[in-house]
Amino acid sequence: MKTITFNQKETSPIALEFDELIPDEIFTWEKSDFDSYMVPIGNSKFPLSNYFDVEVEGTAESPAEVVMIINGDLGRVKYIGAKMSNGQIVANSSVDLHCGAEMSGGSLLVNGDAESYAGREMTGGELTIKGNVKEFCGASYIGDWRGMTGGIITIEGNAGKQLGECLTGGEIRVKGNCDILAGIHMTKGLIQIDGDVTRWPGGQMQNGDIVINGKLSRSLEGFDYQEVITDPTISGKSFSGKYIKYLGDIARNGKGNLWLNAEKNRYLL
Amino acid sequence: MEYILKNGIVYDPTNKINGEKKDICFKDGKIVDDVSSDAKVIDATDKLVMAAGVDPHSHIAGPKLVVGRLYRPEDSRRGIVPKTDVTRAETGFSVPSCPATGYRYSRMGYGTVVEAAMPPLEAKHTHEEIMAIPNIDVAPLALFGNNWFTLEYARDGKIDDLTAFVAHWLKLVKGYGIKIVNPCGGEAWGWGMNVHGVDDPAPYWNVTSREVVRALSQVNENLGLPHSIHLHPNDLGHPGNFETTVESMKMVDDIAKNAPLRNQTIHMTHIQYHSYAGTNWRDFESGAEDVAKYINNNDYVTCDVGQITLDETTTMTADGPMEYDLHQLNGLKWANKDIELETTSGIVPFIYSGRNSVHSVQWAIGLEMFLMVDDPWKIMLTTDSPNAGPFIRYPRVISWLMSNKRRMEMIENEEVHKAVQRKSSIATLDREYDFNEIATISRAAPAKAYGFDDRGHLGVGARADIAVYDINPNDIDPSNEYETIEKAFGNAAFTIKDGQILVQDGEVVSVKSSKTLWSNVVGMEQKEKDVMKKVMPVFNKYYTVKFENYKVHDHFVPNPIEFTVQAGK
Amino acid sequence: MAYEEPITDYDHIVENCTCAFCGCNCDDLTYLVKDGHVVGVRHACRLGASKVMEDMDQRLMVPMIRDDNGKLVEVDWDSALDKAAELIAGAVRPVFYGWSETSIETMKYGLELGELVGAVLDNQATICHGPSLQAVQNAGYPVMTLGEVKNRADMVVYTGNNAMNSHPRHLGRYSTFPRGYFRKRGRFDRTVVTMDPRYTDTAKMSDIWVGFEQNGDYEFYNAMRAVLRGKKLKKDIISGIPKEDIEELVESMKNVEFGALFFGLGLTHTLSKQRNIDIAISLIQDLNKFAKWNLIPMRGHFNVNGFNIFMAYEMGFPYGVDFSRGYPRYMNGETNTIDLLTREEPDVFMVIAADPGAHFPGGANRHLANIPVIQIDIHWGPSTELADIVLPGSFIGVEAAGTSYRMDGVPIYMKKAIDKPETCRDDEWIVNELLKRVQKIKGVDAKMASK
Repeated sequence: MKTITFNQKETSPIALEFDELIPDEIFTWEKSDFDSYMVPIGNSKFPLSNYFDVEVEGTAESPAEVVMIINGDLGRVKYIGAKMSNGQIVANSSVDLHCGAEMSGGSLLVNGDAESYAGREMTGGELTIKGNVKEFCGASYIGDWRGMTGGIITIEGNAGKQLGECLTGGEIRVKGNCDILAGIHMTKGLIQIDGDVTRWPGGQMQNGDIVINGKLSRSLEGFDYQEVITDPTISGKSFSGKYIKYLGDIARNGKGNLWLNAEKNRYLL
Repeated sequence: MEYILKNGIVYDPTNKINGEKKDICFKDGKIVDDVSSDAKVIDATDKLVMAAGVDPHSHIAGPKLVVGRLYRPEDSRRGIVPKTDVTRAETGFSVPSCPATGYRYSRMGYGTVVEAAMPPLEAKHTHEEIMAIPNIDVAPLALFGNNWFTLEYARDGKIDDLTAFVAHWLKLVKGYGIKIVNPCGGEAWGWGMNVHGVDDPAPYWNVTSREVVRALSQVNENLGLPHSIHLHPNDLGHPGNFETTVESMKMVDDIAKNAPLRNQTIHMTHIQYHSYAGTNWRDFESGAEDVAKYINNNDYVTCDVGQITLDETTTMTADGPMEYDLHQLNGLKWANKDIELETTSGIVPFIYSGRNSVHSVQWAIGLEMFLMVDDPWKIMLTTDSPNAGPFIRYPRVISWLMSNKRRMEMIENEEVHKAVQRKSSIATLDREYDFNEIATISRAAPAKAYGFDDRGHLGVGARADIAVYDINPNDIDPSNEYETIEKAFGNAAFTIKDGQILVQDGEVVSVKSSKTLWSNVVGMEQKEKDVMKKVMPVFNKYYTVKFENYKVHDHFVPNPIEFTVQAGK
Repeated sequence: MAYEEPITDYDHIVENCTCAFCGCNCDDLTYLVKDGHVVGVRHACRLGASKVMEDMDQRLMVPMIRDDNGKLVEVDWDSALDKAAELIAGAVRPVFYGWSETSIETMKYGLELGELVGAVLDNQATICHGPSLQAVQNAGYPVMTLGEVKNRADMVVYTGNNAMNSHPRHLGRYSTFPRGYFRKRGRFDRTVVTMDPRYTDTAKMSDIWVGFEQNGDYEFYNAMRAVLRGKKLKKDIISGIPKEDIEELVESMKNVEFGALFFGLGLTHTLSKQRNIDIAISLIQDLNKFAKWNLIPMRGHFNVNGFNIFMAYEMGFPYGVDFSRGYPRYMNGETNTIDLLTREEPDVFMVIAADPGAHFPGGANRHLANIPVIQIDIHWGPSTELADIVLPGSFIGVEAAGTSYRMDGVPIYMKKAIDKPETCRDDEWIVNELLKRVQKIKGVDAKMASK
């Protein structure tokens, strides 16, 4: 195992871009490599050592043997764990845009909040965010109708707008509440929201499942009531309790399912 | 500046040079007999030398391209190349940005491309994009097939008026020739409808495709334009459309040619999309045999193929109703652009896959056309870029044409769906193209069909537009070494344009401004004035721009190459 | 409105000028010129005419630099340009914003400069129809030119937009009143529908007003799509509209020959933002199974569409394009001006033909007050108060010729009618000068093939 610890020395007003600092790229790097590395900031590159002290312990034969720990205020560090395929990254702070974007394997833990586009177009691996996420978590790149296709995103806090936009596979779990239009345009996969949802989950969804364990304030006409099922199995996962099952979005001939906790949403029955 | 390109193996079908070891000299951008001893030597020893490629039909500049780029950022992102000391950044796979378009054609050894559909009202836009494309010369064809003036004059048999109208409009929009797309179908799409076959009239206009195509063909020959009419016939992509296609060729068989260079009076474009048999997508099969037979028996027709390359691409055509059908079929984002009094167009992303039986049969039909049309001067290499695949796949198509082994491998390994064996004859065609035939379909024949005498060949006086590929034609076995073929044609050892070395070893090493080819008809100014007296009241009433602001100002065509056409001569 | 005497005192007229105000780009204006000034404008609406005629009102006449006391003081062109070039060449996160009220010809130099220094290039779409472009990227773009509406449309829908006030000649010149080839009686051959929470001037002259609730756009259009698929609506009232009204509306939209929908910022900037447009586009696509329908976004500035088109053909992305890594990146929320400014990232800001001081949110302007701002414009405005270097440009379509793209994508070459004030320079010249000076600082040659 190789543990690489980044201790912040100074923050930058212009975001650092960490897309090259993933286990796949740096598993052979020694301390001197980090000290001489130039990190992209705006239209230039600056020594990483201006911003981070990097400590390296142990050795790694492959990216899988790398643990990257990043300490400090990472609110201006973009692309943490983007495109990683293996290994482990722990960010001990709130992070900037695109954390875990396009990751295909390994695990990324954020001990704080994440800005927009966390886990965008993920194809595999595990992304865990202890705080809240902003918009477009687990979404597609703009214009693409194929979003996240695999992996698991767990959000322990709340999620912003358009969570799992164009979801094409994989699983997103939000333990807190969720803003409007979760799972918009989704075609496959599972979104589970344990808290409350404001408006319109599943707009224009074609397939897949959205489970809401909290209260839904406002739904769309495009969803048709099907039945109430006790202890259903949804996307291969068992759920306990009564769920109201809806089919939608009819507005675009969708065959997706919206599952609402019957207890919390009695007003709909 | 003088150069001598030494010891290459030259294929120049126009000048009947078939694989001769030969030096090519050029001076001040033109090919010459001989150069002085001061000439700079470019070593091409035992390398394949041809004239730079001429693409007879590609969509590279104009309003629908920009819609494609604007609404497909996910495609733009697929082709990103950072800037270098020489080149600007590139984006896009199926709809590359303008700079990327120029660089990529250059890397394949191409020098001239025909932009196949320019809507007159937005011609300024097309020309702006041509200005932004480096390294290649571009000839834009103006759309006339659904123009209200065409419909009216064709219906009323006023061929003289239409002749003057077309002559004048080519000047206004700086167009090279006459493009016709789904005649009458485009106008029907103004109401969300289409026409079927050549005798189905456009709603309200009471004129048929047959009348429109015949009229424009007559006009084309009256004027003696360098290119013939360029027809995208009705019923594109419909099972059973081969009958419409054959009829579309037949209906102009009596129109006499009036141009010195070309042989044809009609060019049928992306013939693959028009050679379908069957009645629906389930019993859909190849109709290539009938179409190829007609072309083999008639010398007044040329065609280009529109070969499916089995990629995720972006379909875009002035055939609006067809694109809506495609959107209904695949459910992907649909863009449409109707242009007042003139044309329509549509755009839909499309994923051609070898796992899909229909797409695979389409792939086979394109290859069948290549292999069944005997005379390579009648058939040209295109993918109707980006419709059937992006133009950067030409080298791959060349490798398929030169290797029956590769084609059979694709069928046997099920890289294409097994339906191709039942629904087409591709598995029984073992013809393999040689380098001379490749040179014909990718440069010599297109140049001839467009009436270009200054390019597409390496004769003295021609522009020094030259491609050198890093293969020894006497040494290579294309049937087995198809990967080498693809790689070589995709990364020219040298691309030379007007005597300037643009590409070396597959890398763009210099850039130059593009030029615009257009046809200037002279000698019928009075007739043009007369017809404009009839046109203006209609123009003022129904267009939403003023006539003064309609034309393409010289400012948009900074580097013109004017083809002066003596009307009727 | 009081009666105004017709203007008779002028030297000569210039016909077929193009209006440099909104996205209608009316190209039928006649300028009445006296002593080198436009004293009257025929055919234009009040917005367009006043912009053209009051060209000298609060006009920026000379280059200025803000001195140590915080005052803008007049300097010569060389000093101002050199100072601006120095700032641009030294910036780490430069943003070049605006462009929507200048010509494509100017943008060409701006883009080359942006590519050279690794800047972010963005235009007013970022605060107006950006969500529309995002929606187009998700759902598609079934559009037409305005003449199609004039000649064919028997139903015209305005949604989230008050054309009567924002684009005053839109109804008169293109959509509703003109007599078209197939609509010989003009207004009488068309049904006009306004879908808008407000009872606007456009709603007042419509045949049908659908006043759905604020922020209810998405749900409303979702219900319309569901009805189109044959679904019986369950709720009695959806987004404030009785279900019977929705069903009736869908039925009438299905039964037209040619429908045209125009949408504006009322849709782009309410709760569901780009998804309102997304679903409206999808509705239009669905309607095409029954009747011909197209749409057009009601673009604001006369060349806001032009910048998007220009950037797309040059670089593959329409706005908010970031060249910082040597290739273009486009990511909404990351590479857009407002996001960058509220994150306080930019260190040099160049604004050309735009007025962020008047239009941007407070947080964004706060950062502009803290960084060097270079302004290229013709009028004194709130942005001038934020500017550190002011470079006075010229008025496209009046004092300088240039290409613009109408809201429907029709390109128009706007002609020059009068000379600019002697001390001002053309936008094209200014940006090219900046480019040349930055190239000199960086020691590179011009690269673009078009040069």
